[in-house]
Amino acid sequence: MSDLSTTVMDLPRRDARDKLRGRTRYTVDRVRPDMLHAVLLRSNVPAGRIVKLDISAAREAPGVRAIATGHDAPGLYGIGIADHPLLAIDTIRYHGEPIVAIAAETEAQARAALALVVLDIEPVAPVLTMGEALAKDARLVHEGWRDYEVLTEGGARDGNIAWEARTTRGDVEEAFARPDVTIVETTIRVGRQSHVPFEPRTAIGSWENGRAHIETSTQVPWTVRNVTGRVLQLPPGRVRVTVPPVGGGFGLKFDATIEPITALLARITGRTVVIENSRQEEMATCLCRENAEILIRSAVTADGEIAGREAVVLMDCGAYGGEQIFLSTMTAHTLGGNYRVGAMRLVSRAVYTNTPPNGAFRACNGVYNTFALERHTDEICQALDLDPLAFRKKNVLGDGDLGATGQVFDGDVLKPMLERMDTLRATTGTLEEKADGRLYGRATTVGTWFVFVGPSAATINMNADGSATLVTSGVEIGSGTMMQSLPQMVAGQLGLSPDQVVVREADTDSAGLDVGVGGGRTTVSIGAASIGAAAEVRDKLFGFASELLQTRPEELELVGGRVAIKGRPGSGIAVSTVVQHAQTVSGPITGTGSFTGKGVPSMSGCAFGHFIEALEIPIFVVHEAEVAVDPDTGHVEVLAYRVVQDVGRALNRRAIMGQIQGGVVQGLGYALHEAVTIAPDGRIREDGFETYRVPLAGDVVPVVADLYEGAPSSGPLGTKGAGEVPILGVAAAIGCAVANATGKPVRELPLTPPRVLGLLKGRETSPEFPHIAASFEANTLA
Amino acid sequence: MTVTFQLNGERCRFHDDPMTPLLDVLRREQFLTGAKGVCREGFCGASTVHVDGEPVMSCLKPIGLVSGCSVTTIEGLSSGDQALDPLQAAFEAADVVQCGMCFPGMVMSLSAFVRDNPHATRPQIKAAMSGNICRCTGYERIIDAVADHLERQKADVLTKEAAHV
Repeated sequence: MSDLSTTVMDLPRRDARDKLRGRTRYTVDRVRPDMLHAVLLRSNVPAGRIVKLDISAAREAPGVRAIATGHDAPGLYGIGIADHPLLAIDTIRYHGEPIVAIAAETEAQARAALALVVLDIEPVAPVLTMGEALAKDARLVHEGWRDYEVLTEGGARDGNIAWEARTTRGDVEEAFARPDVTIVETTIRVGRQSHVPFEPRTAIGSWENGRAHIETSTQVPWTVRNVTGRVLQLPPGRVRVTVPPVGGGFGLKFDATIEPITALLARITGRTVVIENSRQEEMATCLCRENAEILIRSAVTADGEIAGREAVVLMDCGAYGGEQIFLSTMTAHTLGGNYRVGAMRLVSRAVYTNTPPNGAFRACNGVYNTFALERHTDEICQALDLDPLAFRKKNVLGDGDLGATGQVFDGDVLKPMLERMDTLRATTGTLEEKADGRLYGRATTVGTWFVFVGPSAATINMNADGSATLVTSGVEIGSGTMMQSLPQMVAGQLGLSPDQVVVREADTDSAGLDVGVGGGRTTVSIGAASIGAAAEVRDKLFGFASELLQTRPEELELVGGRVAIKGRPGSGIAVSTVVQHAQTVSGPITGTGSFTGKGVPSMSGCAFGHFIEALEIPIFVVHEAEVAVDPDTGHVEVLAYRVVQDVGRALNRRAIMGQIQGGVVQGLGYALHEAVTIAPDGRIREDGFETYRVPLAGDVVPVVADLYEGAPSSGPLGTKGAGEVPILGVAAAIGCAVANATGKPVRELPLTPPRVLGLLKGRETSPEFPHIAASFEANTLA
Repeated sequence: MTVTFQLNGERCRFHDDPMTPLLDVLRREQFLTGAKGVCREGFCGASTVHVDGEPVMSCLKPIGLVSGCSVTTIEGLSSGDQALDPLQAAFEAADVVQCGMCFPGMVMSLSAFVRDNPHATRPQIKAAMSGNICRCTGYERIIDAVADHLERQKADVLTKEAAHV
């Protein structure tokens, strides 16, 4: 694809006007008075056995139309392992776990009926931390773990270890035994992060012609369809999922949760049923970015060659495996990324605890592994008295270097990006003078992420007015891909203007399979499928136009709404005329396209239990932060923030800049003040805006960004995902900058004033993990 | 109890508990869903409407207290096919919207702010936004758009004054 002049533009969002006028109807705005309202009885203990559950009084309560328990939906769902019931059956595994669903004419009636449910739970001692879960003779969160259906083969499992992914490349022990290396070890601990999408998870279920129809605020309509089929034990084809505009997701809505309950209650009642999480429920059962514990150890020579590296990463999946089982894969590509390493072995374990299940959050796993890797890198430089920036320029992954699983990286990307950061810094200047007596620190860090390729389908229907309707299972979650990159791409391919491309929102009955909006994949995967569909349309247009114009198809092009003769703009025939002609001759012009990752080779025998063995489209970032730390209060002020981001090709620079500003600010919250903690009774303490502190306008700085184009990408038109990755490097850059400012080892997040003050006063000790064995091999099930 | 008030220029009656939050009356009785119940505790600003011209978080306002008042919601700011309010137009032109859930409240808060503070500085705009949380955008581009809007407004005033001379 050579000429992209009609594709690349700062196209504004077509949904902005309605959103600004308050006219956009998110799922949460679609509640009608004739709907039943459903509410959930949730466990108020973290672990126990249901000894009595009597719903007879609740059933007689005014307005109640249906009550469902776990026995009404006995199928289990999950990622990799089917371990998760829709509603708890016999066993309680987390505080907040839904047990009973009640649908009534009003929400107040449903809540009143909840109080009439007789529920006796015999509590058992909860396993609240990964340390407890991995202790010898720990109680099993899932006693029957061996009996679960395995949906994806390959992961090692044992008791509270829901899944283990392991990589090994080269002889690490030999590298560590070399006489010329220094061994540096870093331990890192991070807490959870709550997404706080402004629209809570909300679903509206109805039962239509013997099928479920769920309208829901989700990023993954096909997952909702399939999970609903599983738990209700229906063929998934009997579930239809449609998705209105989504009021923020950030990964929280990358799994099914309450949706199947609405379908179940709709089947029982024949009525339309809505469940809307209250803010408290939304946050108390948030599928957070997981808390993690990391030990990383490297053998490095005096001149800064990384001879060997090994790491153990423990990821808390909470009560059910969910995304963490999949995400254990990502350690190889994030902690195992960034640098050229001689020999490497990594183990990543998803661990069951009696806490609310965790999930996916923007650059999941990558954010804390990048923090760990970059802090570790700075500790290596400190131990060996090397300049951190020079060390990075020398060691970052380049053309022909091997990743953790033995994949061969293509092209020098990170090193020129680091040089671009030098240029950017020279342009903006630095702000040390603004520290004004406080401790000043600056850090430059790198990060490796990827595009989650995977199946997408697209259909284009050409209309008689010359416009095109693009039908996919894409969802507009706020990132703008459905509003900007997709219509830009299709318009560019068909010689139309973007406003002539109608983009249909997801309906699993009208579009083909899609793995969902997340992982930076929409522009790449749905984009590639859409370009495939456009190619078929173009060929058909050329075929008809060729006859009408008596010109060979290869001499035609699509430009300005016309099928024109190449090099003669305004010649030829209007697209609308060709479409109308085709409709009378052989029927409407349509095109379909589909896409999935081609698969990039890794070295055989390197990766065990991995869902993705090699990165199809790596994405690199360079982040730089300047901070001022108040030595009296421990408060960290971010003075300046700079980003160089590998975007492949920028289709809409302004929209990407918006994603970078927003993603960096979410990362600042994670790095500095967003803390989710677990109370002794297993509940998430921070379940509202008062206790969970998200960034406010006064906390942020304008992010200065340089978009790095031209890195290798198999994405359509050379694109990569640009919306997910901006958060990747923030905790790393801030953590390293605070370490530089204070001269203290930053090993935990968030860097709240009390924690930073503790570091300054020498009260913060480095995390110690008795449940991580000193020997690497003792931490694996191999 | 019956509460009577003006809603987007029309007379409106509500017959029920006067402690019902204005937000619930707007969303559940009037089907005006522009104002959002995000935290429902007054932290996020997404439920902001104007009561007698002043921005108020409707989630915290009992309907009984708007008796005799004039309520304007986001739907009333530029209704039908009327042109956007200039601040809305500035946000649209600068492409600052993402998921959009916070913007109705953001527009109601900031439209009152720019009306009352035509000479506001960037730090003052930032301070004024502290009661409107946005999880998507990272704020700065919204602040840019407000600052640009104020600059344009000032320039327009100067042009008009020059024309009168």
